[in-house]
Amino acid sequence: MDAILEKDANGVGIDAGDGRPDVVLYAGSEKVDRHRADYALSLLYSGSPYTPETVGGNTPEMKKRKEITCELLFIEIVAVGFLGIASVLFKEKQMGVIRIHAVMPLHRSLFIFSKVFLFLLTDLVFAVLLTVLNVGAAGMGNFLPAVLVQTAILSLAMALTGFGCAMVLRDFKQFSLAYLVIALFATAPVFLTANTPVKMAWARYYPFYQVYMGLKNAFFGTAVTSPVYYVCAACVIIPLFGIVFAAFSREMGREG
Amino acid sequence: MKGLVYQLKSVRKDKFCIMSFLLPVMVAILMNAAGSIDLSSLGELQFGVIAGDVTSETERWLERYGSVMVCQTREELILSVNDPSTNLIGVEMDKKGIKTMLSGDELAVWQQTAQTLPALYRHRKKAAQADVQILERPDILAGYQHIFPAMTLVAAMFMGCTFTAMNIISEKEDGIAFINEILPISAKEYLLQKIFIGFVFGCLSTVVTAAVCFRLSPARAAAMLALILLSAFAASLAGVFVGRLSDGMMEGVVYIKIVMIVFMAVPLLNYLAAEGNKVLTLICCLVPSSAAFEGIMALADGSESGAGKDMVILAVHCAVWFLLYLSLAKRRKKR
Repeated sequence: MDAILEKDANGVGIDAGDGRPDVVLYAGSEKVDRHRADYALSLLYSGSPYTPETVGGNTPEMKKRKEITCELLFIEIVAVGFLGIASVLFKEKQMGVIRIHAVMPLHRSLFIFSKVFLFLLTDLVFAVLLTVLNVGAAGMGNFLPAVLVQTAILSLAMALTGFGCAMVLRDFKQFSLAYLVIALFATAPVFLTANTPVKMAWARYYPFYQVYMGLKNAFFGTAVTSPVYYVCAACVIIPLFGIVFAAFSREMGREG
Repeated sequence: MKGLVYQLKSVRKDKFCIMSFLLPVMVAILMNAAGSIDLSSLGELQFGVIAGDVTSETERWLERYGSVMVCQTREELILSVNDPSTNLIGVEMDKKGIKTMLSGDELAVWQQTAQTLPALYRHRKKAAQADVQILERPDILAGYQHIFPAMTLVAAMFMGCTFTAMNIISEKEDGIAFINEILPISAKEYLLQKIFIGFVFGCLSTVVTAAVCFRLSPARAAAMLALILLSAFAASLAGVFVGRLSDGMMEGVVYIKIVMIVFMAVPLLNYLAAEGNKVLTLICCLVPSSAAFEGIMALADGSESGAGKDMVILAVHCAVWFLLYLSLAKRRKKR
């Protein structure tokens, strides 16, 4: 028994040499060890098989599919979408597009709207395609509208942030570092808190965590219904638009 | 010497370079401040009960195996069980025993626990009488605890590549590269001046990061310093190649990201997956950060002589890449 336990340190040995079952096992963590020992002992007693009540509608495979779809969608919008709008604007800045807009008889906000809505639309199309291909079309109607709402919130916030960065930062070189910091700090704590039982107390005040959980809950059929959440989202997006508008106006002034 | 002063002046005004220098130091300080995250509770079981439904004795019994979350209503319990980020097992009283509740999307190990929990509860008195002998085993995760600091150090060393590459690319964009072509300066002098920037800042960033991450004996600190000097030189050389290859800033950023990923992923692959596979280990040795990472891990694990082989590999890298660049520059000049 000792040799077998040494080979498989996760195994549990039962020594019944003196007529009484004694448990031998290698240490893991205290509570898990207790459960392993009691489980091993329970196998000695006969009993009818028991089936727990199932209260959810997902299989383990579907859960994994939904989780990975949610993570990909979040990363795509936070990292790739954010980078996309900024790189487009840096290129346009170089080409003098902003200078041309300064003399066009169009309201400044239309330029911002055109960029932001283009990225919003592509993110929504991407969300639909990713969900159809990864999760499947069956039963999609139950959760897709809620997913699209969360995608729209995240997409608008990130596109406006990317727009603002492109206006405030001097060149793409400076932006690439800001991008690295934002992508790293936005995603790392979110994935740690949302996907593992490690719960960081401050996470509930962290906007990216709230949006990620909104997206994840939408995928799992428990969309956020609290109006506070949507009011907060609007309170982030509207001032962001104001900041972007001011930065864009300043950039136009600078370009002459 | 005057040329080196000019190189330093050009870096001083570059916020990107200054932030690149500070980033690994900040990460090291954050890691130190946060301490090591206790992941021991990750494998523990989580139970959910309804307030007033289970007896205090049952709650204490469940707490022997894991954490217990108390919900006010059955609906709240069902919501918690269905929460996709946890593997919570719902527990309710069932006459004299208990019954369990699952979401259905859990892995087999949690499902098996939920299936057997009522039987464990039934036999809890018998189980309490058995003797349990727990044997000590070495911490299987001990070797992995230095991975994060070592990777931070590799990232800090890599900053030398960013400094050098950005400096050369900026000069190309501003047209200074053309002026450099007609300056009375040899290829070797030019190369040394360019490497100097990345080397000095890469070294500084890595030394500060190492001082924050590790507490080393004088002998190991000296070996670490030698490793840092060689690695920073190799990283700065890589930056020269990136600068030479890139025509514009965007292209340069893409190359830098690729080099960064290779510099960080290859040592990890070598450490985690290539054990015993000599071919893969040899291929990994072609990337200088692999030897640097191995050396750091050896020094962090307490070995003083373990980094010797890695220093030799790094020295060979420095010499080979340096000579390769010079021969390429010579060929270009002839053409």
